[in-house]
Amino acid sequence: MTTLNPDQINVILATDCGSTTTKAILIEKIDGQYRQTHRGEAPTTVEQPVADVTAGVINAATEVGELAGRRLVNEQGQIIRPAKPASGGQPPEGCDIYISTSSAGGGLQMLVTGVVREMTAASAKRAALGAGAIVMDTIASNDRRKPHEQIQRIRELRPDMILMSGGTDGGTIEHVVEIAELIAPAKPQPRFGTGYRMPVIYAGNKEAAKFVAETFDDSVDLTVVENIRPVLERENLGPARDQIHDVFLEHVMAHAPGYDKLIDWTDAPIMPTPGAVGDILQQIAKARGINVVGVDIGGATTDVFSVFDGPEGEPVFNRTVSANLGMSYSISNVCAEAGMPSVLRWVHFDMDERELRNRVKNKMIRPTTIPQTLEALVFEQAVSREALRLAYIQHREFATTLKGVQQQRTVGDTFSQQKSGQSIVDNMKLDLLVASGGVLSHAPRMEQTASMLIDAFEPEGVTELAKDSIFMMPHLGVLASVHSRAALEVFEKDCLIYLGTCVAAKGRTKPGKQCFSYEISGSTLNERGEMSFGDVRLFPLGLGETARITVEPARGFDVGGGPGKRVEREVRGGTVGLILDARGRPLILPEDRAECRRTVKEWSESLRLYEGSGSPRRR
Amino acid sequence: MATAYTPGLQVTDCMRYRARRVLPIAGDVLVAVGDRVGARDVVAKTELPGDATPINLANQLSLMPADVPECMLKQEGDRVEVGDVLARTKGIFGMFKAEYVSKVSGVIESVSHVTGQVIIRGESIPVEVRAFAAGEVVEVMPGEGVIVEADVSFVQGIFGIGGEAFGPIVMACQDHTQEFSADLIRDDMRGAIVIGGARMPGETIRRAIDFGVAAVISGGMDDSDLKDVLGYDLGVAVTGTERIGITVIITEGFGEIAMAQKTFALLASRAGAEAAVNGATQIRAGVLRPEIVIPVDAGTTDTSTHASTGTHIASVLEPGTSVRIIRDPYFGVIGTVAGLPSEPMVLGSGSKARVLEVACESGEKLTVPRANVEIIGG
Amino acid sequence: MQTRVLSEQVSVLRREWGVGSGEWAVAGCRSAPLVSSTSHLIFQISNSWRGVTIFALVFVLTLGQAAAQEPPRPVSDLRAVDHPNDVGESVDLSWTISPDDDPEADPQLVSEYRVERMTASDSDAVDDPEFLHEKEFVDIAKVGADEATFTDKGLKRTRTYLYRVIAVGPGGESPVVETETAVGPAMDWFRTDRGWLAVIVLLICGAVTAFIVAAKSGRELYIRKIPGLEAVDEAVGRATEMGRSCVFISGIQDINDIQTVAGITVLSRVASLTAEYGARLEVPTARSLVMTTARETVEASYLAEGRPDAYRQDDIYYLTDEQFGYAAAVTGMITREKPAACFYMGTFYAESLLLAETANAVGAIQVAGTAEPAQLPFFVAACDYTLIGEEFFAASAYLSGEPVQLGSLRGQDVGKLLVAALLVIGCGAATWATVSGSPQASAIVTFLQDNVLGSGGFLP
Repeated sequence: MTTLNPDQINVILATDCGSTTTKAILIEKIDGQYRQTHRGEAPTTVEQPVADVTAGVINAATEVGELAGRRLVNEQGQIIRPAKPASGGQPPEGCDIYISTSSAGGGLQMLVTGVVREMTAASAKRAALGAGAIVMDTIASNDRRKPHEQIQRIRELRPDMILMSGGTDGGTIEHVVEIAELIAPAKPQPRFGTGYRMPVIYAGNKEAAKFVAETFDDSVDLTVVENIRPVLERENLGPARDQIHDVFLEHVMAHAPGYDKLIDWTDAPIMPTPGAVGDILQQIAKARGINVVGVDIGGATTDVFSVFDGPEGEPVFNRTVSANLGMSYSISNVCAEAGMPSVLRWVHFDMDERELRNRVKNKMIRPTTIPQTLEALVFEQAVSREALRLAYIQHREFATTLKGVQQQRTVGDTFSQQKSGQSIVDNMKLDLLVASGGVLSHAPRMEQTASMLIDAFEPEGVTELAKDSIFMMPHLGVLASVHSRAALEVFEKDCLIYLGTCVAAKGRTKPGKQCFSYEISGSTLNERGEMSFGDVRLFPLGLGETARITVEPARGFDVGGGPGKRVEREVRGGTVGLILDARGRPLILPEDRAECRRTVKEWSESLRLYEGSGSPRRR
Repeated sequence: MATAYTPGLQVTDCMRYRARRVLPIAGDVLVAVGDRVGARDVVAKTELPGDATPINLANQLSLMPADVPECMLKQEGDRVEVGDVLARTKGIFGMFKAEYVSKVSGVIESVSHVTGQVIIRGESIPVEVRAFAAGEVVEVMPGEGVIVEADVSFVQGIFGIGGEAFGPIVMACQDHTQEFSADLIRDDMRGAIVIGGARMPGETIRRAIDFGVAAVISGGMDDSDLKDVLGYDLGVAVTGTERIGITVIITEGFGEIAMAQKTFALLASRAGAEAAVNGATQIRAGVLRPEIVIPVDAGTTDTSTHASTGTHIASVLEPGTSVRIIRDPYFGVIGTVAGLPSEPMVLGSGSKARVLEVACESGEKLTVPRANVEIIGG
Repeated sequence: MQTRVLSEQVSVLRREWGVGSGEWAVAGCRSAPLVSSTSHLIFQISNSWRGVTIFALVFVLTLGQAAAQEPPRPVSDLRAVDHPNDVGESVDLSWTISPDDDPEADPQLVSEYRVERMTASDSDAVDDPEFLHEKEFVDIAKVGADEATFTDKGLKRTRTYLYRVIAVGPGGESPVVETETAVGPAMDWFRTDRGWLAVIVLLICGAVTAFIVAAKSGRELYIRKIPGLEAVDEAVGRATEMGRSCVFISGIQDINDIQTVAGITVLSRVASLTAEYGARLEVPTARSLVMTTARETVEASYLAEGRPDAYRQDDIYYLTDEQFGYAAAVTGMITREKPAACFYMGTFYAESLLLAETANAVGAIQVAGTAEPAQLPFFVAACDYTLIGEEFFAASAYLSGEPVQLGSLRGQDVGKLLVAALLVIGCGAATWATVSGSPQASAIVTFLQDNVLGSGGFLP
């Protein structure tokens, strides 16, 4: 790997090797600014008959090269570096750096252990998720399973690696060794290859490290890093996270077909795809000083990322993977977990439940089909709202302040003793909500994407909505590690498509009562009026435009300044525009089915969700 | 682009079937390359380590963990029976000794001086792997398993529950569109693989379980019936480990849907033959579909056909290809490709997608997204 | 002396003029008595039977200052009724006081009333000697002047009684007034005077029952989370991670103290957690009985968690009954062993701050719970979480999650709500009545005071 002066980087090639497709993008410096110019994709080639991931990478890179009129791959099937401008009738060729992410083969699957589920085990889980892993299970002393059940579970799982934590420095040794004594006899088998030893990263009480090492035999490959929770008051995720990436490259990737070659090619370490997405969101949050939530809804899983101010004001990053909330493989599970009535409340016309249940299962067993009729689309989007809502609930529960911290009190706290471990996710403080994933990115109308986001996440106050145009975030995440300016420029200009801004009031009252009054002034949009509770309104405000909005909430409503306090903000337009939401928070739909249908229909008309599409029809 | 790749399920009256039969952990392979095996023959076996029971002797005997090893009467590797004295404290002046009597039997695996924990490993669990397909062992992976090849009639279902089952094929329905009602289950179907036609109500499955049927196969079923049979709402299509006493396979999908004519005809032509089925389904990266494997006699084999391990086949979609529409509103409709317009079209849902035209058996011409058809027959 | 003289003179007068007691009464009604300020007594006597009214002025001169006096006129309108709302032991007597009974008068003509009783019948035991004894009127009580009621208690339900009342004054005794019919005390099934109490009891008990039934039928009852209780998990977790012990102190009172009992309930929860987490639990006690109870509780919790092997009896021990000896021992132990979690649940006095401050200094998460108001500020300031008074008792219901306890907790909340509502209404009405003088508001206050809050309701 070479280190380059960032100023000399003009052409960047980035690939993301997914389970099914390898996507390549080309970023070029145009007039001193980095822009994403071309993209291409090809099937991923990790399985037979090719069994070499680089074949797919080359195919994707060739496609990008053809589109860009730039020769990126030479006759030997290698990526040309560095970039050379066109000369002597030859087209320009090569790129300055090449980077890649990977989630092929189901991504990075991990087992984490800790002593107390809510404390060190939660920290270990945070480290693993933050590094882009899928956490298969969390073993802890208090996970309410008997030791032999825990052993059984470890035996059944075939993780790529195990992260062990537990105990503060100088804390418990006994519990940590006990867990090691569960792992050792279980003899977990790695998922890939029979020839290599199970990698175990130990990030617990440093005094217990030697006893842990004694417990294991040769069948595991133990590495010891700094304690993830040296004291309960502080989390130290960095060393464990870095070690996970190293082990990922050394062991997991090295055993996947063709990855050894790919590792040599790249100018920055290959990252697990979700880890890279997390990185770019952290970068953007830091650069703009905002709180961000990102979501990626896939066929099988839904990832939620958030960057929020922690208790000391420092930004805290969290990621969760809801393993069984998705739109195709897991669609049936969403319906089972949320319940059919919860899904159907978002549908504004009548549907036969038995037929729907069969349709859901048919989608599950044939995951690649797409909705043909408006009716099917509305239903899928209803399911997505519930999937996103459930994923976000899980995320809020996970993204908390640290538990087990001693509290300082005064007598003034007598009646207001807040407990620790509160969620740091606060919708009122949320500034930017970024959507990606098929059902959100490929919705026929952007209004539908915006509506799904608002209904599922219930943002409060003033929140910008955006979507990832072509799922470029993983590429930019890796790029950020070598050239953060380029990554941020491309992220703002090409990666995000701003949908607009949502202004929502928190609070509830009776339908029809006043919720807030507003006054919007901008170059193209000048409006004033009142919003009654239950209303939602869409104003056109194009991409790149801004307007000034003054909101005067009624008593008991809060749009960010406190209950009943006036708020004045600059809002950004987008492909959808400015959405004023007076439906109240928490958003509650009428219990009665007919009433609910009517309400949802009104909302979808105000937001122009299905304008221009055929009206729902039945066969 | 006049053609496109689209998934389809395999229905072949004769092919070379390659079954990879491996143990979950290393063990003994019982057959050699070239051996002929029957479907139910055990080809490999091993013993899974038994349950490990941890006993905290430090707490039981009020000892410091470090003192536990010297109080042990049995050492690592020793066998322990229920009632054996595992450890005895030194006591005070040789008196007031405390003992721990083992409540489990097994072998002492480890004694920890850090936690004071003793782990006793129980009896190991035997695991056997059967050949599944009656054929010839073509490869032995020492310690891991074997690959068996056989010439079979092979049918992939779309979804199944339950594990491997064996038995003779018995036809219950006369026609592929006939509903597989409960009264078609007869007394003489015990241990058989029973083939239905169209939708199979939950009642049929329950009756089949009562009658000891090995497996039921039909075109479709209702999701609500599946829920009734399983006792829970299936969330993710990863199945095969259910223990409901029967293997259930549907070949087409959920709802009122008839088994494909070709599948029905193939199964009917092999009625009476010994078959092996597996309901295990996994719809994820690395798809696993339920399988019906019916060995055919050597000699009639055409070994040049597919050498597949039973995943999707990818066929070319071109005018004239038989396809089935696999998404509402035309779910289950069968026809042939009549046209493949190259330009994406706006669908009723408002999205743009590449479509194809399907000429139905009824003569009607339907336009559907390419993603919503699968090739049948081939 | 005077009285007797007067009464004798009246008797003489009566004899000489031939006037009966009936006429006295009639005369008393018709004309107002004229009483001189000195020792003159004027009698107005009428004889309606003859249609002649006779006036007589009697000047009584006695030696010294004493004046000769007449006996008072009798009471009228004597009624005897069964005392309501009792088990049948009392009879209420009422009468109109004698016309001569005037508290302003000096000297007073009536000094007291004498009540006499006679048993009229007994359905139960005719031969009862007591009954025989009461075959004639006997004195049962003396009632002060100006009083017109008397409740005769301790009667038998099987009997009926006759009463008579005699006004007694310095001038002698008035003629006897007797009830005309015999009354017997009767047992009442309901005390209608305590109707409000019934309403309140029905409301609260009904609420409790309703909530228990609801909880049993599987309805989820929302119970506000008490942060202090939730924090127990966290504190035990901290102790586990840090490899330190948890200390539980159930107050310095014996097991007969209700707070100690509540503390032991919380101990069972703490013990379940230490069993689950595998942390060490130390329970130093100040009473030997508390130690025994704590041992049994902790053992049961460990058993329920399936970790009987982890239970260590020796960690639950008795120190001393001496308040400060105990405090010294515990603070010493805390400084030496540096536990990571301390729980104080029970009755505490001066040692509260000593314990809490010491443990705070060693960095322990502390959760306290006590109903001693004086100690609460100390706990609040020094501990991470404090269960305040009621919360402490509600804790056991919350912890157990049993339908009966949860239902009771919710039902009691209805009671508290009722009390709070009455307080608000009462204060509001009383304030309004004072400020505006509104008669309606005063009426509400009076109604509340006399009924709901009075003897009909909350008052015992």
